[in-house]
Amino acid sequence: MTTPALPAMAGLPVELDAPAPDLLLASHPRPLRLRDFRGRPVVLAFFDGEWDPARHEHLALYHRILARLPGAPAELLALPIDDDPCRGEAATRTWAAAGGAAFYLIDADGFVRWRHLGLAGRVPRADEMVAALAALAAASPPDQSPAPCTASRREFVALTLLATAALATPPSLRGEGALAPAGPPPAPPGPAARPVTLRVNGRDLSLTLEPQVTLLDALREYAGLPGTKKGCDHGQCGACTVHLDRRRVLSCLTLAMMAQGHEITTIEGLARNDTLHPMQAAFIEHDGFQCGYCTPGQIMSATALLDEPWGPSDDDVREAMSGNICRCGAYPNIVAAVQDVRRGRPG
Amino acid sequence: MHPFEYSAAPDIPSALRAAGADPHARFVAGGTTLIDLMKLDVETPSRVVDINTLAARHPELGRVVPLPDGGLRLGALVRNSDLAWDAAVRERYPVLSQALLAGASGQLRNMATTGGNLLQRTRCWYFRDPATPCNKREPGTGCSALHGHNRIHAVLGTSAHCIATHPSDMAVALAALDAVVRIQGARGERGVPLGEFYLQPGAHPERETVLSSGELITAVDLPALPWARRSTYLKVRDRASYAFALASAAVALDLGGGLIRDARVALGGVGTVPWRSREAERALEGKRAGAEAFRAAADAALRGAVPHHENGFKLPLARRTLVRALATAAAMA
Repeated sequence: MTTPALPAMAGLPVELDAPAPDLLLASHPRPLRLRDFRGRPVVLAFFDGEWDPARHEHLALYHRILARLPGAPAELLALPIDDDPCRGEAATRTWAAAGGAAFYLIDADGFVRWRHLGLAGRVPRADEMVAALAALAAASPPDQSPAPCTASRREFVALTLLATAALATPPSLRGEGALAPAGPPPAPPGPAARPVTLRVNGRDLSLTLEPQVTLLDALREYAGLPGTKKGCDHGQCGACTVHLDRRRVLSCLTLAMMAQGHEITTIEGLARNDTLHPMQAAFIEHDGFQCGYCTPGQIMSATALLDEPWGPSDDDVREAMSGNICRCGAYPNIVAAVQDVRRGRPG
Repeated sequence: MHPFEYSAAPDIPSALRAAGADPHARFVAGGTTLIDLMKLDVETPSRVVDINTLAARHPELGRVVPLPDGGLRLGALVRNSDLAWDAAVRERYPVLSQALLAGASGQLRNMATTGGNLLQRTRCWYFRDPATPCNKREPGTGCSALHGHNRIHAVLGTSAHCIATHPSDMAVALAALDAVVRIQGARGERGVPLGEFYLQPGAHPERETVLSSGELITAVDLPALPWARRSTYLKVRDRASYAFALASAAVALDLGGGLIRDARVALGGVGTVPWRSREAERALEGKRAGAEAFRAAADAALRGAVPHHENGFKLPLARRTLVRALATAAAMA
């Protein structure tokens, strides 16, 4: 079997049926490259580098897909898209992954056999991925003598997630272009599904949803906007706070169908191009978070209360923000951030 | 969540038809109770009729408008936050504004509506857990709270079948204000005073109000009550904000020359329904406004209370809450 040399990363887009450019996957504790996985198929999944506890669901999904393909012992390489200088921005450009999600299937010989570019912020559906892997398994039976790999998948995934945690930009910093999968792709819509248009961050999104899909799940799992967080899912924690017609509401207790015809704003829609909303800047300035999971909800709540008739005191802020729970206890800094913005407002 | 049909009602007749055609239909407005309970499988409607869309055709549903007699009509779709901040409500019925702001969170108040708040379901943890017996959720299965954990449960209006507390703050203020619930049904409109709207559990805790299947709340009327400017709501709970009441009191006082001419008293967090206490009101009328009268009123209000093994603390707590609320109202300018 011939093994074509992997071309150096040239900044050209990766094409179907072309050799996959090599990619430095990790440099610590030792260098790990895409070519180290030669000899068996590889699923290369680029997704938004935001740290998200739901990420394990994402990985679990691909593990399940792989488990259903006994003939295709593919490796799953989950790569955060971020500004990691080791990988460099060129890598995300080459793999067309900048600002979104991208998925590639690379065969045992290092050729790109299938790709899904998440230009619309969509995750490939599970069945698409399964079909692609099945086709690959049929076309090229797995190599019986795989090349030695310098890291186990488990080790690699752990490494990648660690890197993600360390490098993740706070969710509040991401622009509205950051469309990425956060959980498993939704199940194929059932018979009750119907077209729904949601106006999110100034854009109309056309989705097909069943009536029981909440606005929160529609945003996270169907619209590729995972900035809005799922905490308790019962209206008790505030992590899912979004704006509906500029008022703060809980997306977990709103059916997506009920949100039609309203202007929805999520954390992804607060910044204007590269300029953060003053509340986002104030949260950074005052260290208004620790783990960051409640932060999108805190910020959405805080920006909305600027337009509510609360009094000027810290106690007023505490009362107004009491629907947003922070398990890290960043409350004093959150109050300071909110007060900074309130005092800085003209009029 | 169980699958269901969703439809948005363009007008009241369509909403009544959609709900009337299906005994397992539910109206949804704010969704803060219904969708929560649907996720828990406590509510499993076959059809959900969205009534938020009614406001386009019936703008009065989303407004607070003055009534000819000097009262106010609160549209059923007025959001709790808008009602709480409404200038007329704050000035003329401060107890209602305070009760609303004491409930839930800023986000929930932006969603929850006047009509929906009235129909909140209890926070009894057994009611919310389909794995346990509950007469309210599944008639005839028994009450898990009677001999279970009942720290948050009611001491007034209970029965051998149910001791669940009504959770609303707003409804306690409305009980004190003699509000009237306006209800539209297939056979026309009716008005039900709040005191007759709720049903104590008795042998049928599954029946909570006099609403029939398919009936829609369209408004709540507040009768004119000029002296309700001297009214207040005091809520005591496990944390300073964003928690349900362990005990609360809605009071209004009509004072003249240091004497109490008239009074309104309702308690929350302690009753199976928003608990109007005419006994307390009678104990206040004609008395000099002061600690002695307030304590006598509190004793009268709790006289028939039945504590259970974890909630005996609610008796002194509710008494003191009421005394404090009355003192606060008496001291208002």
